[in-house]
Amino acid sequence: MALYLYLQFPALQLDNVSIAATSALPLAVVDEQHRIIQLDSLCAERGIKFGMTLGSAAALCHNLQLIPYQHTRQLELLAAVAQQLYQLSPDIALDPPDGLYLRLCQILRLYQGLDGYWQRIQTVLSAMPYRYFYATGNTPLAAKCLARQQLNLISSDGEALLAQLQRSPLRFTDLSPDIQQQLQRLGLQQLGQVMALSQAELARRFEHGLLSYLGRLRGEFYHALDYIQPQQGFSSTLELLYDISDTAVLTTPLKLLLQQLEQQLKRADALCHQLLLEIRFRTQKALTVIISSVQGEYRAAQWLRLCQLKLETVRLTEPASGIKLDVPRFAPQRPDSNTLFQPVQGAMSALQLTSVLQARLGRAAVSGLSLQNQHLPEQASGRPLPFSTVNNEVPALAVRPAFLFQSAIALTEQVELNSGPERFCINRWQPQLQRDYFIGRNRQGQWLWLYRTAELRWFVQGMFS
Amino acid sequence: MSALLEQLTRRQLLWHGNSQQAAYQAVTSGYAELDKQLAGGLPANGLIEIQTEQGIGELRLLLPYLQQQHLDGRLLVMISPPADPCADMLAGAGINLAQLLVISVKNNKEALWAAEQCLQSGCVAAVLMWQVLLRLAQARRLQLAAEQGNASLILLRRPQAALSLPVNLSLTLAAHPYGVLLNVNKRKGGWPAGPFLVDMQSRWPALSYRYDGLKQAQRKAG
Repeated sequence: MALYLYLQFPALQLDNVSIAATSALPLAVVDEQHRIIQLDSLCAERGIKFGMTLGSAAALCHNLQLIPYQHTRQLELLAAVAQQLYQLSPDIALDPPDGLYLRLCQILRLYQGLDGYWQRIQTVLSAMPYRYFYATGNTPLAAKCLARQQLNLISSDGEALLAQLQRSPLRFTDLSPDIQQQLQRLGLQQLGQVMALSQAELARRFEHGLLSYLGRLRGEFYHALDYIQPQQGFSSTLELLYDISDTAVLTTPLKLLLQQLEQQLKRADALCHQLLLEIRFRTQKALTVIISSVQGEYRAAQWLRLCQLKLETVRLTEPASGIKLDVPRFAPQRPDSNTLFQPVQGAMSALQLTSVLQARLGRAAVSGLSLQNQHLPEQASGRPLPFSTVNNEVPALAVRPAFLFQSAIALTEQVELNSGPERFCINRWQPQLQRDYFIGRNRQGQWLWLYRTAELRWFVQGMFS
Repeated sequence: MSALLEQLTRRQLLWHGNSQQAAYQAVTSGYAELDKQLAGGLPANGLIEIQTEQGIGELRLLLPYLQQQHLDGRLLVMISPPADPCADMLAGAGINLAQLLVISVKNNKEALWAAEQCLQSGCVAAVLMWQVLLRLAQARRLQLAAEQGNASLILLRRPQAALSLPVNLSLTLAAHPYGVLLNVNKRKGGWPAGPFLVDMQSRWPALSYRYDGLKQAQRKAG
C-alpha cells in the first residue's frame, strides 16, 4: 500500500521574517485583495483570523505590522525547505504555495518504520523557524486533505486513515467552489457521503473535475507528481524586518544564514572556499561582497569571523533591507594529514591565518616571495600569492641586497666602493643599457648596491641589511 | 630569617646575582661572540627590540636565527619591510621562501593587528616588523600573543630615547667596517653588556671592509 506524507506550512514568509525580528509586535502578511493570509501567534491572541480583511484586522489591533505577500519569495522558501528535507527523503514534490508531498513507500525500510522516519523529519523541521501541519494518507490528495484539517496524524493504518478521510468536511478538499456549492445544495457535507455515491450518477450530474479528483483521492487514477532534484551549492535570502545601517549589526542575521550553510555543508561532507554576500538596499543596486577562505571552511564560526573582518572594511551608503548568501559550489572535504602526536600550538593553520589577514587587509596586501630564473634584479623576485608553488631549481645568486628599491635612486652622497664591478648587459644590441654594479658603503656605514650606467651616472638600486 | 628568605625565594621575589640561567629559551644566533654575551643566544619567543639604522647589517645578524626558527615548518612573516625584499638574498641565506609571507599595511594600526594575528596563530615562528610606533600596553599585548603562539616578534626601529618597553631583549646596533657594533640595552634575566663587535667577515666577505679596497676607494663616486 502506498503511503504519502503531506506537510503544510501556513506562514512561510512570515516566519522567515520574524526570526530576524527583535521586538514583539504582531505581524501579518496581506495579499493584493487586502486579506490577511499569514499571521503569527500575537495576531491570533488579538482575535485576528485567517482571511480577515485588512480593515477589520487593523480595527482589532492598532499596532499591527504588515508585510506584502510575495509569491516568488514564498516559492523560494518552499524550495529551500524541500532541499533541506531532501537529505532525509528522496521523493519530494512541491505543492505551491505552501505544501510538500513526500512519498514514503521505499524510504521507510531505511528508518525502520514510520516512527523512526517521522522522528528524523521532525528534527530537521524543528531546526527551521517555520510552523507546520502534517498528515499521512494512502494517496497524495488524501494526505493533503487530512493535513489541511490540521489533524497532525501520523499513521500507516489504511482503515483508520480512510475513516478519517470520510469524516472530512468538503471545504478542505481541492474541489472548485462551484462544485462544493452544488454538493452542499444536495445536502452532502462530508467527503464520505460523496464517495458513497455511484460514479455513474456523479458523472451524469457533475462536471469532470469531481470524478477526476475522487479517482485520484482513492488512488484509482494515476496522480503524477514532479519530484525535485537536488541543487548544487547553497543560496539563501533573509529579508530584514528593520533596515540596518551598521555592518556590525548585520552579522547577527548573517549568523543565521551561515548556520544553515554549515548544516548543508556538514551533510554533504564538503567545504566551500568562497561566499558571495549580497547586501540589498531599497533604492540602490545590491552590493556584493566576496569573502574567501584559502583553506576552505564549513564551520559557521570561522566564516563569521572572516565575514566580520571583511564587513569592517565595507561602508554602507544606505541602510540594508535584506541579505542573500550564495555559495556557487562546494569542494570535497580533504582529510587532515597532520600526525596525531605532533604538538599543536594554536588553533589555526597557515592557510587560515592567510584568509584572516586577507579578509581585513585585502587580497593584494598579503603575498609570498619567489625566486625567478632572471638575472635582472627588477625581475628576479616574484610576489606570487602566498604558498604558491616555488621553483626550487633556480639557484640563488651570491651577493644580492636584502631590499631592492622600486625604482633606482640617483646617488647624492659620497660612497666608498668595496667590491665590483658586476656587469649587466640586458641586450647585446643595446650597449647603452649596460650597467656596472658595485657594492659600496656610505658615511653612515650603510651598505648600498649601486650601479653606473654607460653614461657614467650613478644610481642606488638596493640596500644590504 | 632563613625561613623568610626561603619563602621569598619560593615566591620568586628574590633574585640571586650569581644565577645566570636564561629567563627564556635561547636559540643560537649563529655568531659565537653574541651567543656568549647573551648566555645562549636570542630568545625563541617574545619580543626582541633592535634599535638600528637601516642597511648596516641588522638583517644579516638575524638571518641564522630566522633560519633556525623556521626549521620546524612554521612561517616567517615580514610586516611593512622598508623596500621590496629580494628573493635571491633570502634564499641564499637558507630561508625557505615557501614559508615566507610579506604583508604590506596602510597604517600603524593595521600593522599591529596583523602582528598580533600572526603571533597568536601558532603557525608563525617569527615576525619581523619595521618602524612601528608601539605603546607600553600594546607591547605587553603583543608579548602575551607571542607567548601564546610560541613565536618571536622582532621590532626594527631607529635609535630613540623612548621609554623602555617590556621586551625579552633589546639591542642597539651601530655600523662597523667588519660587521656591527652591538650593545645589549636590556636582557630578561641578565645584565646589559657594553659595546662589542660581531664580526661578519667570514660569513659575508663581500660586505666587510677590505684594505686592498682602499686603492679602489680612491675612485670615490658621488
